[in-house]
Amino acid sequence: MSEIKSTVVEFVKVLRNADIKVSPAETLDAMDTMHLVGLKNRAFLKTSLSMALSKTPEEKESFFQCFENFFSFKDSETKDEPESGDDFSSEEYSNEKTSEPSPGNGGNGGQESRDSAELDETEGESSLQPTSRLGKLLLLGSRSEVMIETIEAGRTVKVNQIIVFTQKGLYTRKIMDEMGLKGLQDEVKELKNDGSTDGRNLARKLEKSKETLREQVRDYVEKQFLLHADETGKELREELLKKVKLSNLEKRNFKDVQEIVIKMAKKLVSIHSKRRKVFKRGQLDIRKTLRNNMQFDGMLFDLKWKSKKVDRPKVMCICDVSGSVSNYSRFLLMFLYSLAEVIPKVRSFAFSSDLGEVTALFEKNSLEDAMAKTMRDYGNGSTDYGQMLEDFKSSILKDVNGRTTIIILGDARNNYGNPKSEILREIYERAQRVIWLNPESRSSWGVGDAEMPKYSPSCHQTEVCNSLTHLERVVSNLLKYAR
Amino acid sequence: MTIKHQERLKDIQTIKSQFESLNYICSEEIATAVYLAYHLEKPVLIEGPPGVGKTELAKTTADMLGLSCIRLQCYEGLDESKAIYEWKYGKQLLYTQVLKETLGEVLQGAKGLSESVKKLQSFGDIFFSEEFLEPRPLLKALKEKDSCVLLIDEVDKSDHEFESLLLEILSDFQLSIPEIGTVKAKKDKKPIVFLTSNNTREISDALKRRCLHLYIPFPEAHLERQIVQARVPKISDQLNKQLVSFIQELREMDLKKVPAISETIDWAKTLILLHSETLDAELVRQTLNVILKFQEDIETVSGELASVVGRALKNQ
Repeated sequence: MSEIKSTVVEFVKVLRNADIKVSPAETLDAMDTMHLVGLKNRAFLKTSLSMALSKTPEEKESFFQCFENFFSFKDSETKDEPESGDDFSSEEYSNEKTSEPSPGNGGNGGQESRDSAELDETEGESSLQPTSRLGKLLLLGSRSEVMIETIEAGRTVKVNQIIVFTQKGLYTRKIMDEMGLKGLQDEVKELKNDGSTDGRNLARKLEKSKETLREQVRDYVEKQFLLHADETGKELREELLKKVKLSNLEKRNFKDVQEIVIKMAKKLVSIHSKRRKVFKRGQLDIRKTLRNNMQFDGMLFDLKWKSKKVDRPKVMCICDVSGSVSNYSRFLLMFLYSLAEVIPKVRSFAFSSDLGEVTALFEKNSLEDAMAKTMRDYGNGSTDYGQMLEDFKSSILKDVNGRTTIIILGDARNNYGNPKSEILREIYERAQRVIWLNPESRSSWGVGDAEMPKYSPSCHQTEVCNSLTHLERVVSNLLKYAR
Repeated sequence: MTIKHQERLKDIQTIKSQFESLNYICSEEIATAVYLAYHLEKPVLIEGPPGVGKTELAKTTADMLGLSCIRLQCYEGLDESKAIYEWKYGKQLLYTQVLKETLGEVLQGAKGLSESVKKLQSFGDIFFSEEFLEPRPLLKALKEKDSCVLLIDEVDKSDHEFESLLLEILSDFQLSIPEIGTVKAKKDKKPIVFLTSNNTREISDALKRRCLHLYIPFPEAHLERQIVQARVPKISDQLNKQLVSFIQELREMDLKKVPAISETIDWAKTLILLHSETLDAELVRQTLNVILKFQEDIETVSGELASVVGRALKNQ
């Protein structure tokens, strides 16, 4: 009973690491399923659990993989008989065991396992017995006993909490210690000092078994790492990446960041896209109408309608891609790209001096291409915010209405040119919201050629935005306010 | 649910063979899903490409257990008044009229407003009561005397909101009607619920969480042959083999819509009608429109027809 419980919980943890979303409710379902189906028929259990736990074809695929890994491993743990072809490097160990003559003691009898009894015949006259716990286990115990001991020790030192691969050595050590390595070493030392042939023989054998054991434990830790840590490590990395300043992110993190960004965008969209607005036409909602008009003695004059409309924010994004902010704009572009995939009404613009629309580019190209092209076409020039606003006014301002939100990303460093903040004022008056995201910290907004003090009165909101967390917060707010 | 069902659903093999006797050939997974749905009392969300027998599974299960199958076809704009219940408005309006007329009698002898109100309060109100309630499929399924199979078809076609409406019935087999209270399925008479989805949009996690998830892919060749055999018993073995292996070939190709099982069956019937015994390129060309539903697909396949047929005949 409790065994099933802990097995399911551990298995679910493994699944979550493999990016399969499993809720506690589903965990309970899995337990019910396991009770119902039992552990005897493996294929049956596999299909049954797959239905309770994995809910898309992709998840099913990873599920089957996890199942194979987890339960083949599990078998050796829950059952002593290694009938189900476990891959626990046990072969190696048992070979070692039988080929290595071990000093057993015929006279002692009783607790010897089958292995050592056999071996007694090859080297029957040895009179020494290992005295330490681990030594006894290694030389006299059967291999499944050793295995169980290893797993027990693993549990005690919580090997399933391993996070990064550099910890492998540490955990191997910890497990060995837990199993009584020290006792064994002391014994070996003693035997060596003892000087007798038997003693030295035994010491050598013990050392050899110790090495085999270390090998085996390392293998075990390795497996545990693959099961538990791979993705936990990834989560950790993602968390860190979110907080790191965007300009400090490097090319090699790019892929991770992209994943995060897509995740964020999805999350935001699913939170914010469901708003609906009741219309004044369409099908009559009789139910509501009657209900509502009961207060008027059943006279139907306040009519209610059924049609509703999903209301999504119309977003325009203007992104400075000049040299000074290119590190940031890369990520904003990335975010925009992901957002555009899920919200249909995002229009994106990029500029250094002349403004250009990149919406179509984003639609047609893959992320990398789109970004590279944007950078090529508009990037890295010297900044001219005045020109940008001029362009915006002449070609795009007519599309701005009371439901449009405009996001401008840039440091507002205008190379001492004319800021033309009156145009921004005009945009401000027409649009629902104007949000300025500035990657620099607030204290430097007015320093040097920065024109933020002139622009900020014409913005509904100005924010510092230099990490993914910032970005997420800003966009989330944006969607909230867009109502 | 009764012992009769218990017996019929006692293990996977039994389910499978009973399905077979009803001409529904299924894989282990499908049988397992039915088994779990019954024993765990959980709804099953069935996904898969169109035409692999998702809806059919629900119907066959109902047949097998001798239960009625209540079907709710989902579409955009489906709402609670069509899925759960509706008030009988006409009758309610009449009722208010009648009430108005009898109001005088009810209030007879009452002095002053407060007393009238008190009298009115003691008067039983049936405006919102079971009598005026028109049950729709979901409510009907719960009230069914003898349990039933509830099929919520193409749930992906409905709106997000509707999915949320389903959550209550899926997790607890109950529905709350604000004016009346909670309607619960009788213990042991809980409906077996199937939901199908063609994956036109992602089903919400909340819904998925409450269901067992069954994915039905296109069947493997041997299974498909069995299906054709079961559905079109007149077909010869040879034609069956050729036909299935051709369809399997088509599914490997890059088509807008690959043929599903239902198309295979239609095609088999067509070929029987044409008295064909074996497959050849010309015959395929003439009947291609039975299995392919887009002109561009037909053109793609016609271009490589000879080689595809050749491969199919070789692979059979």
